[in-house]
Amino acid sequence: MRKQLSHPPRWAERLLQWACRPDYVDEVLGDLNEAYYWRMEEKGRRKAAFKFVFEALLSLRFTHLKPFYHFNFNTMMLGSYLKIAFRNLYKRKAYSVINILGLSVGVAASLMIFMYAWQVLTFDDFHTNEDRIFMLYKERITPNGIQPTYDTWVPMKSMIKGEYPQVVASTRRYGMTGKVKKDEAYIEEEVTFADPEFLQMFSFEVARGNSTNPFSSPNALVISNQYAEKYFGSQQAVGRELSVYYPGEDSTIRYEVTAVLKDWPDNSSLEPDMIVAFESLPFYEDVKNLWGGSFIDNYVMLDDPASQYALLDAFPAFVEKIWDKEIAGRTNFKLLPFNEYYNTFLGSQQDAKILVFIALGILLMAAINFMNLSTAHSVHRAKEIGLRKVLGAFSGQLRGQFLVEALVLSFFATLAGIGIVALCMPLINDFFDIEIAFSQIGPPVLSVGFVAAFILLLGLMSGSYPAFFLSKINILEVIRGVFKTKGGRQVRNGLVVVQFSLAVFMVTGALIVRNQLVYMQSAKMGFEKDAVVIINASRRDFTDREEASRRLKTFRDEVKAQSFVKSASLSYSIPSNWVAGFTFVRPEGWEGDPLRMGMSYVDANYLETMGIKLKNGRNFLPDSEGDQRGSVILNEAAAKAFGFDKAEGNVILIGENRLNVVGVVEDFHYESMREEIKPTLIFHRTAENPVHRYIVCKMEMADISNHLSVLEEQWGTLGATNSFTYNFLDDSMAELYTSEQRFLRLVGLFTIISILIAVLGLYGLTIFVIERKRREISIRKVIGAEMSNIVLLIVRDFSAWIAGGLMIGLPLAYIFLRDWLDLFHYRIDISWTVFLLTAGVITTLVLLTVSYQAIRAASANPVKYLKED
Amino acid sequence: MNLQLGVLEEMILILLLMKQETYGVDIAQEYEKQLGQSISLPAIHVVLKRLESKGLVSSYMGEATAERGGRSKRMYKASSRGFQVAKSLQDNRTRMWGLVPKLNFSPL
Repeated sequence: MRKQLSHPPRWAERLLQWACRPDYVDEVLGDLNEAYYWRMEEKGRRKAAFKFVFEALLSLRFTHLKPFYHFNFNTMMLGSYLKIAFRNLYKRKAYSVINILGLSVGVAASLMIFMYAWQVLTFDDFHTNEDRIFMLYKERITPNGIQPTYDTWVPMKSMIKGEYPQVVASTRRYGMTGKVKKDEAYIEEEVTFADPEFLQMFSFEVARGNSTNPFSSPNALVISNQYAEKYFGSQQAVGRELSVYYPGEDSTIRYEVTAVLKDWPDNSSLEPDMIVAFESLPFYEDVKNLWGGSFIDNYVMLDDPASQYALLDAFPAFVEKIWDKEIAGRTNFKLLPFNEYYNTFLGSQQDAKILVFIALGILLMAAINFMNLSTAHSVHRAKEIGLRKVLGAFSGQLRGQFLVEALVLSFFATLAGIGIVALCMPLINDFFDIEIAFSQIGPPVLSVGFVAAFILLLGLMSGSYPAFFLSKINILEVIRGVFKTKGGRQVRNGLVVVQFSLAVFMVTGALIVRNQLVYMQSAKMGFEKDAVVIINASRRDFTDREEASRRLKTFRDEVKAQSFVKSASLSYSIPSNWVAGFTFVRPEGWEGDPLRMGMSYVDANYLETMGIKLKNGRNFLPDSEGDQRGSVILNEAAAKAFGFDKAEGNVILIGENRLNVVGVVEDFHYESMREEIKPTLIFHRTAENPVHRYIVCKMEMADISNHLSVLEEQWGTLGATNSFTYNFLDDSMAELYTSEQRFLRLVGLFTIISILIAVLGLYGLTIFVIERKRREISIRKVIGAEMSNIVLLIVRDFSAWIAGGLMIGLPLAYIFLRDWLDLFHYRIDISWTVFLLTAGVITTLVLLTVSYQAIRAASANPVKYLKED
Repeated sequence: MNLQLGVLEEMILILLLMKQETYGVDIAQEYEKQLGQSISLPAIHVVLKRLESKGLVSSYMGEATAERGGRSKRMYKASSRGFQVAKSLQDNRTRMWGLVPKLNFSPL
């Protein structure tokens, strides 16, 4: 009969047996069983089994269930598991600490990355209308391809409003720098000029004040909660006044605060800390019908996200209506979904997705390591397991034991990981210049649920292999003392090689990135960057323009007169912030198209102060009006672009203006060393000229803080809107490399984590290998081997893995880093010393990890391991 | 006898009366045979419990068989009260049916 061969699904049967009232069990289960065989004859096994499970679950009705207090949750065994787990952890403290540490570092690293990625992936998602908001932009169709330009025109809003019924609301946005007066000081802020719809479209909610129509008066101002505190402290901000000076317009506007906004999440692209009505733009009357110049953002909110296609279809006709057919042929309007705003202007959500995979990888590595360590330690547990089996433990109970132990470890590791994150959060935020916080993750209930699920998953993932592996141990072998751990060795070896390749890769990468950074910061720049102080001193720092020039001149003369100032100069440009603008220029008699070149303005003292060397020709003549209008100094790159051998006698043309080339300076790095030195034109403006923004001083560095306070005092007497601000030129140059610095930090951190994980993996493997060779070692010792021979025997095994790691890691690093270095125009060559250093570091680490265990094994008493046979 | 019974309760009660003495799987099979509709065992079990608590059915534990995984059957039997209730339901129904005019009904 077939009946004996098949059996209904046991788990469903067990579940029902466990939960059902005992006096009903026989009837219900018996009937289900009988029906199973009957259905099997009729409809086949699978249908019968499915029906069985289905009906078993349906049978779990209230009428059939035991009263709750009769349920047996088997907590007794759980308690025993927990107790044994804690005893085991306590007994092998070193092992537990290493295990928890390794896992918690992995958890902390991945948690931090997850949080950062989460923040990036949910950027701007707090706007409830996000999917319906679009930014209008234009595309210029040129022979070389399509160029998107995101700034649009002021009158566009009124045009588009009447044109399309799909547009529910629209707003313009323009950010302008203003100086906000607080007490007697001025603070530079960005003021957002926007239409009233701005607050309806975007989810910036009004906390206090007029929430229905905050822009009812033309001088209304809506500020963020933060700014309300910044300017008015704890006092009520609504109804108060703020006056803002716009240096670009030379005008001051007094605003009245009508509303204060609630705080919005950190991951917002728009940060409208101060919003004023768009019409209050000082030059609004000049631009309100201007279709000639575009400089603002236009946003529209549609009735439905799908309406965008209708709009896109209608745009060509719209362009033609505004201008003419000719312009319509090379311009088109497009819609940028607001959820693409972050990707377009600020960062990349794609990178965040890659980071999630890295985080998962780190977590997996840590979990696998944990698995390896537990399995490697199984030899210590073999006797215990054997004895438990002899005493009648089921393998299910043993599995339960190991899973509970893994769960306990993962619980502590996760808590420790969260602790590490909490402790390091301010440091990490500072370090990487990001803003992550636990509060961004979401409601606490959800987070707790997530953490619980995480602990469970991590515990099950890392505990399952040891659990199944160990519960299958053959009792007879263990009791007889011939137990050998086997199986999965290839996997473990492979894993260690992978971990080492990764560590090698990271170490090499970190070294090369560091070398490039050091090279960039210490290379000859072509000018003196040490002991140069840049003082911000511009006519814009004064409310009265006429007065400003006079006062600045006084200040410059005072600076020059100081004994500690070796040389001082006024300029528009400094290296790191060089180009004042671009112009099209051609030498006299040039046939081809004019060349596009950057330009800058300096005074006659500049070359000397900065230590820029003249290659040929002469410097500008001080206070020479003629030099000011008709002369130019080129850098070498520019001279080469024009094909000039030397300065004198050459003339270049900008439009129809003739300029005599008076000198050529040696190339100097006025931008990051990522960039090739580009041709630049240097123009002369006398020290009195209002164009200058900086006073560049070559100073005596001894006692520098006193010198600076002397200058600060003098600045204080001028009555400027700014306080005295300055920079050291070498700092400004270093700032050009912040993204590289951050990259180096990131690489450095991952290097440490990868080394830690690799070393832990190796540690587990060493224990494993030594346990396997115990007997061999003991016999060798008895026969008379030296300790050094035995240590060598063990270490030899590992040299293959190091070699493997190096052989995979080094070429990968070479290929990867070569590509990275190609981003820089001035770059180092990857030298062999880097590889040697990496190999040295890794080998030392391996030797340290392995030899400790090896020496311990070699010095153990052989009798201990041989007497059992 | 004015006891209210659900349709399924009534059906199973009648099946019990037909079979004299029976148990879950047998009822399911008979139900399918008579009505051409399949029914789930848990539904039968619940209805039997309900009928028993209303005193229309009595039960005792029967013998175990191999098909049942060595578990015993619970055998059910309609009580005389069950017979009375079923009979009055049927009588009422027949009486009422007699009052339905046997005329043409418009084909909807």
